[in-house]
Amino acid sequence: MADEELVDPKNYLEERCKPKCVKFWIEYGKCVDRVKDDETGHKHCTGQYFDYWSCIDTCVAPKLFEKLK
Amino acid sequence: MAAGRVIKELLRKKLAPQSSIPPLLSSFTIKQDQEGIGSAGMKSLRALALLGAGVSGLLSFGTIASADEAEHGLACPSYPWPHEGILSSYDHASIRRGHQVYQQVCASCHSMSLISYRDLVGVAFTEEEAKAMAAEIEVVDGPNDEGEMFTRPGKLSDRLPQPYANEQAARFANGGAYPPDLSLITKARHNGQNYVFSLLTGYREPPAGVSIRDGLHYNPYFPGGAIAMPKMLIDGAIEYEDGTPATESQMGKDVVTFLSWAAEPEMEERKLMGFKWIFVLSLALLQAAYYRRMKWSVLKSRKLVLDVVN
Repeated sequence: MADEELVDPKNYLEERCKPKCVKFWIEYGKCVDRVKDDETGHKHCTGQYFDYWSCIDTCVAPKLFEKLK
Repeated sequence: MAAGRVIKELLRKKLAPQSSIPPLLSSFTIKQDQEGIGSAGMKSLRALALLGAGVSGLLSFGTIASADEAEHGLACPSYPWPHEGILSSYDHASIRRGHQVYQQVCASCHSMSLISYRDLVGVAFTEEEAKAMAAEIEVVDGPNDEGEMFTRPGKLSDRLPQPYANEQAARFANGGAYPPDLSLITKARHNGQNYVFSLLTGYREPPAGVSIRDGLHYNPYFPGGAIAMPKMLIDGAIEYEDGTPATESQMGKDVVTFLSWAAEPEMEERKLMGFKWIFVLSLALLQAAYYRRMKWSVLKSRKLVLDVVN
């Protein structure tokens, strides 16, 4: 019947996939620290961000649709 | 990038003979003048140098390309769509739900002007349901006997209604950005189905160092990263007719299935036809190959005898 609390399986799977991609998360974290101290406004961590989320996506994608109707 | 150029310069200097020819021309003159000399050593050194120049050129392209990451957008993953198999049909219940998502979430900004109400009959709705949906809209119809335009309730033959009268009105209402027509969107974007699903469910916090101006939103899958459309799919935004829990990914999957159907309504018939005719043509190929070889056997089994008389 109607669930009062909707849990999106995608968020759940992304949490589950985080340990697999921890290497990229650490690299992103290092970049964030480097960028924090920068005031030129040109530095950004898009590369590391993309690497991390690409890893999460390839982990989540095969499993997501099994959880959906 | 700088390293690549340095390597190129070094190699060019190596190539240049001990003369006063400027280094730029030396590589060309060597080829023409020293063809006669062409010792194995010189040739291999030249080949190696050119190869090195090529590799360093490619490497410099590599460093340029990575700077365009955000411009191309994050590559989207491949989702296992239920209709992607060689003989798989659409999930029509999903098309029906997806139409509901479009109607309630997207239709206020996005037109689907190539789809008519009659296209939905037999795919996601019964004729009565489609007629009832069409009757809910008002359509401007051609001049009557008095020469005046008039409005009437919609019929099956009418197209889905457009939210804006024209592109300028659409841009004006959306901060200069035009919400594209969705009739063919999954065919109009590279890897359309996966891209649209990733885009709709991929609104995230921007990476460190990236700031998006007011009025735009960050989406890594969108080329450039800054999209005018805000996140529209939110858990529980609609209540599905059939009681399916309306999570973000569920709505994303259903609406993309609906959009895939809208762009390729012929898909099921096409797959059946394709399977049938590829099978038939394979048999025909076997027959043709056998027949060709049979006819050519006469010539292929010829023997020519050279009879030399001294």
